[in-house]
Amino acid sequence: MAGRAPRPTSAGGDVFAADREVGGDLALVDWAATPLGPPGQWPQSLQTAVSILLSSRFPMWMAWGEQLTFFCNAAYRRDTLGRKYPWALGRPANEVWAEIWDDIGPRIDTVLRTGEATWDEGLLLFLERSGYSEETYHTFSYSPLRDDAGAVVGMLCVVSEDTDRVIGERRMATLRDLGSDPTVIRTEQEVLAFTGRQLDRNRKDLPFTLTYLFDEGTARLSAATGIPAGHPAAPAVLPADDPDALWPAAAPARGETVLVPLTGGAFTDLPAGDWPKPPRQALVVPLVQQGSAPYGFCVAALNRYRELDEGYRGFIELAAGYIASGIGSARSYEAQQRRAEELAELDRAKTAFFSNISHEFRTPLTLIMGPVEDLRGRFADAEEAVRQDLDVVHRNGLRLGKLVNTLLDFSRIEAGRMQACYAPVDLAAVTAELASVFRSAVERAGLAFDVDCPPLDEPVYVDRGMWEKVVLNLLSNALKFTFDGSVRVRVRRSDTHAVVIVSDTGVGVPEAEMPRLFERFHRIENARSRSNEGSGIGLALVRELVGLHGGSITAESRPGEGTAFTLRIPFGTAHLPPGSVAPEASGATVSATADPYVQEALRWLPVSDGAAADGAAADGARLPHDVNPPVLPGPSARGRVLVADDNADMREYLSRTLAAGGYEVHAVADGVEALQAVRRDVPDLVVSDVMMPRLDGLGLLARLRADARTAAVPVLLLSARAGQEASIEGLQAGADDYLVKPFAAAELLARVRANMELARLRGHHLRWRAALIDSLQEAFFVCDDAGSVVEINTAFTRILGYGPEELPYKPAHPWWPDAAVDPDAHRRVGTAFATLLERDQGSSTVPVTHRDGRRLWVAVTWNKAQDPDTGRRVTVGTLRDVTAEHHAVQRTTALAALNTVLSQAASLPEALASALTELKTLWRARSVLAVVFHPGNVPALTATDPDANWNELPPERRDFLEGLRDRPPLTPVIEGSGAGVLLEHPDGPLAVWIDLGEHRPFTAEDQVLLSLLAGRLAQGLVRAHQIDQQRETAIALQRAILGPARLPNGFAVRYEPATPPLEVGGDWYDTVALPDGRIGIVVGDCVGRGLEAASVMGQLRSACRALMLQEPSPARTLMALDQFAASVPGALCTTVFCAVFDPGAGELTYSTAGHPPGILAHADGTVQLLEEGRSVPLAVRPGKRRPEARCTLPARSTLLLYTDGLVERRRRSLGTGIEEAGKALQEGRDLPVDELATEVMTRLAPAGGYDDDVALLLYRHPAPLDLTFPAEASQLAPVRNALRAWLAQCDLNRIDVQNVLVAAGEACANAIEHGHRHAPGEAVRLSAEAFADTVRLTVADSGRWKDPQPEPYANRGRGVALMRATMEDVTITPGPVGTTVDMQMRIAR
Amino acid sequence: MTTPLTLTTGRRADGTPRLSVSGEIDMSNASALAEALDTGSGHVVVDLTAVEYLDSAGLSVLFARAERLELIVTPLLEPVLAVSGLAELATVHRHGDDGVR
Repeated sequence: MAGRAPRPTSAGGDVFAADREVGGDLALVDWAATPLGPPGQWPQSLQTAVSILLSSRFPMWMAWGEQLTFFCNAAYRRDTLGRKYPWALGRPANEVWAEIWDDIGPRIDTVLRTGEATWDEGLLLFLERSGYSEETYHTFSYSPLRDDAGAVVGMLCVVSEDTDRVIGERRMATLRDLGSDPTVIRTEQEVLAFTGRQLDRNRKDLPFTLTYLFDEGTARLSAATGIPAGHPAAPAVLPADDPDALWPAAAPARGETVLVPLTGGAFTDLPAGDWPKPPRQALVVPLVQQGSAPYGFCVAALNRYRELDEGYRGFIELAAGYIASGIGSARSYEAQQRRAEELAELDRAKTAFFSNISHEFRTPLTLIMGPVEDLRGRFADAEEAVRQDLDVVHRNGLRLGKLVNTLLDFSRIEAGRMQACYAPVDLAAVTAELASVFRSAVERAGLAFDVDCPPLDEPVYVDRGMWEKVVLNLLSNALKFTFDGSVRVRVRRSDTHAVVIVSDTGVGVPEAEMPRLFERFHRIENARSRSNEGSGIGLALVRELVGLHGGSITAESRPGEGTAFTLRIPFGTAHLPPGSVAPEASGATVSATADPYVQEALRWLPVSDGAAADGAAADGARLPHDVNPPVLPGPSARGRVLVADDNADMREYLSRTLAAGGYEVHAVADGVEALQAVRRDVPDLVVSDVMMPRLDGLGLLARLRADARTAAVPVLLLSARAGQEASIEGLQAGADDYLVKPFAAAELLARVRANMELARLRGHHLRWRAALIDSLQEAFFVCDDAGSVVEINTAFTRILGYGPEELPYKPAHPWWPDAAVDPDAHRRVGTAFATLLERDQGSSTVPVTHRDGRRLWVAVTWNKAQDPDTGRRVTVGTLRDVTAEHHAVQRTTALAALNTVLSQAASLPEALASALTELKTLWRARSVLAVVFHPGNVPALTATDPDANWNELPPERRDFLEGLRDRPPLTPVIEGSGAGVLLEHPDGPLAVWIDLGEHRPFTAEDQVLLSLLAGRLAQGLVRAHQIDQQRETAIALQRAILGPARLPNGFAVRYEPATPPLEVGGDWYDTVALPDGRIGIVVGDCVGRGLEAASVMGQLRSACRALMLQEPSPARTLMALDQFAASVPGALCTTVFCAVFDPGAGELTYSTAGHPPGILAHADGTVQLLEEGRSVPLAVRPGKRRPEARCTLPARSTLLLYTDGLVERRRRSLGTGIEEAGKALQEGRDLPVDELATEVMTRLAPAGGYDDDVALLLYRHPAPLDLTFPAEASQLAPVRNALRAWLAQCDLNRIDVQNVLVAAGEACANAIEHGHRHAPGEAVRLSAEAFADTVRLTVADSGRWKDPQPEPYANRGRGVALMRATMEDVTITPGPVGTTVDMQMRIAR
Repeated sequence: MTTPLTLTTGRRADGTPRLSVSGEIDMSNASALAEALDTGSGHVVVDLTAVEYLDSAGLSVLFARAERLELIVTPLLEPVLAVSGLAELATVHRHGDDGVR
């Protein structure tokens, strides 16, 4: 570097290089102005120290030299120095840290003096780095820095700032304390005191706090910390909604948090908390808990040495949340406490009331029961009625006594005054004994009673009296709620406990009710039970009693399946109060306690004969007269009364009282029975209890009123519920009167009499109407607007079997035919019913089902009317049983229909087929089939299902049909889903099967009808058979005289007589083989029909044949025929197409006598009419010269000659018919001529068949080639020559010809080779046929073919390949007697 | 009746043996063709232009000797030769384009 001026920062650059930014700023310091001088002159030790400082990531500062000049690094700058950077760099340390020099100066001095390092942890320092005096915490160490000589000349401070940690821990501690388990805190006051204590422990973050709670429009100071009571900033009460209040209460009331500056007025002299100066701001936060309005708010004064950042705000809100939740839980605890106390008080009051009142009952009860016992003894022989009355008094006395005793037990238990004496007993034996007293009641209820109590090996200490109540209550309960199945009692040992299980298969307890099962006075609403009586305290008492035994009771239940109670009583005496244990049990058997339980249970059960303990009236039956003779017997009774009460005693009492009052009484046990009884036979008055199982009195009333027939019946309700509301409820429901128990007999009779008279006056008109309607012979009904039948008369019940007791009958009514069994009938009624609802009036006849299942037909007539009471539109209708008429009409109609189809049938098969269709329609059957059994043949099947086939019928159906042959004819046999019948068919026995489909009844009427129709069908078939025979004879005749027996090759002919029966006519065709190889062709048509025309035709045909043989010229033949025809009556105007054809040249010479033109369809798709050579019909101008025309038939063209029946139609020109025939020819151009003939006949046939007879002649040119030759190689060349000649007529190109020759040659060579091998000299047949677009070849031999695999030197394999290559379609069909090769080639047009 | 077949032997201008065939060849006379071809053992020109029919029996005879045959044919026989594959084994000239007559 010599000679170069040093760069200004060269030395500094080296020293400060470790950190570019802070180093850069250090370099800018005017070091020369400091005691340290320029960095270039700094001792090595200082340079090293600065370099270490700058390169460290740990916050550090250092001081060096006499002024302790300040250095720091980037980390220190960031964490601690704040705004003092870069001002502080290079300044004396005591200037930089003037504000804390008091704290740190002495420490630095110590280091410099002693050379020992210091250590300070979490030292609080108020730094001014952020623009205010900030509370900060630092952990630091001062260590000495030495110069090059080793003297201490400075110090290094390594520091880490702890502010966040320290403050965070402080706040966390407060929150933790607030949240510490306040289990003992119960009241709001306690909560506030507790939270206050916690808040007060943190006066750094919360210099002071105020907690205000809202209280009806004001906010009341409820707690305060860090501020003395009565301070101006802590007013005791604030208006909650005054925006100018000292603290803005309105904002937190809305759930908002507000920051309040603490300036002026009341805030002048605020406490400072742990700080030297008072807070400058306070945060007002609401005390909110989820789901409720703010309870109040908390004012938290803020530490002025920290800014209100998110952490601080969150801390205050969390603290407020703790206060709020404490207040919330205290308040809800208080509310619950209050409620629990109220409930307990209520329960106490209820028990006290019942026990008091029970106690009051005991005396009178005793005074009743004693004398009653006496009276029963004294009147043991008195008359029945007296004894019954005494029994009733006795029984109900017992019941009341039991209830009273139970209540008293409760009050004793409540008061802890239950006198118990626990003695060791054999629990199994005692329990079994108790169960046994219930046996008769359980068994009379029709339940199985299963008592399974094997002895336990250890005695159990029980209080005998209490145990009886436990078991009897459980059994009584089981019986009450069990209607079928069993009741079980089991005793077992389970380790330290005796276990007793009482279970039943009764109605069970809904899951929701289980928790309240043992609750006092809790009764399960709407449970089905044997009696609606009961106080709901039995199970509660059981639990209390079991509890006194140190035991437990649990219940398990499933609705509809049953309930099981499990008792667990510990063995030994350890759990019992010492004074109450007796060493030994007294020998008492079941005490009198049991009697009331059993007596009560027995009264729930229906009384059976013999078991009738006290001669009570059987439920649902009229009172026997010998028990309760009415004062006025028979029809002169004052009226009929229906009594409904579930309490048997009450029922009897009412019955007796009313019977004694001269009424005819009918008694039932609940509302459902009452409703049925009323509907069956409307009484004059109903007396009903309000509380009843199944259907209560109010329900019964509502149902009676809802039904027009019973709406007017007066109802007198009885209830134990006193009070005005109850009676109003009853009367609003429509009761005519209301009587509260207890009541006197005289009062009851008076009310009954009054109501009955009132009703009688009211009901006179009604009864008259009812009598009138009931007297009708026709069934009468009334439907409401929804279609429910609401009223019927006795005739209705008689006709349909449905009585008034089940009214209303809602649609679909029960008499509708079952939709599953007979959907058609069901639909039919448904439709008729819809019409009934829709139309104002009408009538229809529909099938219905009598209650006993019979099918009826009824004629319904209806009208719409307005119900005068309700104003609703109703339908009033009558119906009449027309079953007999219906079936008669049905038979007549069916017979007529069958007659019609039989008479229209043109043949026997048609007659049978159409008769089956008719049967199918008539029965709306799934299918109908008929089988004719020919001797020895497969039975011939005819069926409505065109695909039916005898062999595919189910075997059981075939067996059934075959079995029918052994039945007498015309006797229907029902089988499964249908019916069969046997009848005579001209060909043999005929079995008919009608398949009705699923679940359709084949009624007796159906059988009669089927029998009738089968007879008619048999007759019809015989007649059809006769007609068939005549027809066949006639057609055979016609065919016999029509044409040649054998047609020349390439021709096809058809003759079709006109359709309606037996119409032969005068049409004919003929071909004549002429000696020169040519063919004469004739198609003619004589005028008229029937046998006469046929005979004329016969003569003309013969004459024409003879003439052609004689003179093979069409024109001359016709001219000669003119002469002949003139002499034959009926031959005039016969039309004839006469031609001579040369098959080799394809040349046709023709002449026409008034006949429609021949049609020639060319291979190129065009159609040509042979219209020349025309002249008049035969014998019209005898002697007149006739013209002749010529035409060459091109290769593969088709000629059609015909009579006018083919093309002539009414209201259509002949041209149209001819055009259609031409079209048919073109479309059938690739069919063999015989098939084409059928096709043309079918296509042109009118819908109903030809109404004129038709003769038709077809020829395709050239005629097919047909050669048969011996299987010898020498035959190949001549065959090939013949084929070549035929192919020449087909007009093919040379290559096609060659291909056909090669293919045919190969096929023939194969045939010869194989023929040679298996049977030399056998015939081989080659046939070839030309169509418009194809040539078809067939070669058939008698041998078998080689596999066409190409083997080396295998000629024939190559031959097949050649065939396939030259023809388009090659099919080789090997058969047992030879092989047939079919080949086909398409001809290019 | 045997299929008409005429076999004429000769030599082409270059001295190659030549067999001119006319008529039809089928299983009844294929052996005659075979015999005529087997009179020599070397290369032979077979002129089939006058053959109107050739079936698989005749083809077999030609196949067995294909390597030494040079065939002259008309379009009439071409499909058969092509389909059988003979055209691939023997040299086949169309009548008129052999240029050796």
